Amino acid sequence: MRPRPWGWNPTGRRRYAILAIWLGHIGWVILGHGHPGRWESVLGTLSWPARKLSALFQQGRASRSGQVNNLKQAQYELTLTRQRLESLQMQNAQQAPRLQEADEAIRLLGLKKHVPLEMKAARVIVNVRTAPFGGMVIDQGQDAGLVKDQGVFCPEGVVGRIWEVSTHQASLLPLDAYNASTAVMLAQSRATGVLQGVGPGRAEIRYVGGQELVQVGEPVYTSGLDRVFPRGLLVGYVVSSHQEGPELRIDVALAAPLSRIHQVLILPPQPRIELPHPAAPPSPGKVKP
Amino acid sequence: MSQPTPMPPLWRCTLAVVCLAAILILSPWPGPQAVFHAFLVLAVASGFESPLPAMLWAAAGGWALEASLRSYPHMGGTALANMAICLLVQSLMKHRPPDHKSSYWGQLAAFCLGHTLLTHLMVRIAAGPHAWGCGWLWSLLTVPLWGTLSLRLRLPQRRR
Repeated sequence: MRPRPWGWNPTGRRRYAILAIWLGHIGWVILGHGHPGRWESVLGTLSWPARKLSALFQQGRASRSGQVNNLKQAQYELTLTRQRLESLQMQNAQQAPRLQEADEAIRLLGLKKHVPLEMKAARVIVNVRTAPFGGMVIDQGQDAGLVKDQGVFCPEGVVGRIWEVSTHQASLLPLDAYNASTAVMLAQSRATGVLQGVGPGRAEIRYVGGQELVQVGEPVYTSGLDRVFPRGLLVGYVVSSHQEGPELRIDVALAAPLSRIHQVLILPPQPRIELPHPAAPPSPGKVKP
Repeated sequence: MSQPTPMPPLWRCTLAVVCLAAILILSPWPGPQAVFHAFLVLAVASGFESPLPAMLWAAAGGWALEASLRSYPHMGGTALANMAICLLVQSLMKHRPPDHKSSYWGQLAAFCLGHTLLTHLMVRIAAGPHAWGCGWLWSLLTVPLWGTLSLRLRLPQRRR
């Protein structure tokens, strides 16, 4: 026997349930408008996990975005710092020659205070000393009152003498030139001789008696006998000595760095052999109030 | 040759619970949420043999969606539309099971559009004017994805 579709059997009860659900929904949709506050609170409680998860996700995204922004800002600042460092290095490289020249000028000024002579300062504008027929040229000439055979020196030692003078410039004959001769004396034995150039930065002393006792490292000073330099300016140091016939040949390393000179002092023509001692600084007790 | 057995009701219920949970959890992202909602109504719930559990799961999906969205002043429209479209899909799939994957995709896409229109009509009746959003587009574009999955779950019988 076939069961009745709307009877109180399982099929009928299922149909009644479906009908009730349908009618309930339709009635709720059409007639169920009311105050939503209670539903809102229930729904808020139910949706708490989803809102929490969303908040965590958004927080993670914001944190990651902040980290990326910090990294970009740090990279930008690093780039700026590098550019500034390069600019400062370039500026430093541009000012390095001026700083070196200023240092030399300060040392020349100090030397000028200690040597009681009327000296003129000059700048070396050409230094091709090691080239064939080369030499050194300074920026002072006849207009500054320079003449031939004026002595030239720097804070480290004697440089040479003026060889030729033009209107605005003058050429120098350095100590290590083959045709340069300078009257010198040894510091300890006081033996005098003539210094002649033998090569770049080197010279030898001739006409020193074989009985003289010479020590390696001994300073060599000008003797003042050539009337180009006064007595007592440092020329160089003894490197070696050997007997050659009746005389000694003494090799000398020049004290002045001839390849790196930028500023020099020019002695007056035919200075006195002995320099007067510089005036002593006034003692505090003699100063009048 | 043995007939393929349909998916056990317990497994189907488990899948429906997973879809409900996904609908609730994905409430901050309405696009993926709409995909799970369409999958629950058009593929999982409509696959039950009996219309009563199919209708109940579809209604639950509608209530869960509206509860998680919290944007309608009065709820119930989505559940009503879900029940209607679920019964329609169940009836059609019982009488005209799909032959090929492409035709099944086409049917699902048509049902998806119809579901969207009916849902917004019911929501308008229940809650008044509202925003449509882009969830329906997500559902429509991902039909090949969840349609293929639902075809495997449904195990359609060959037409005699």
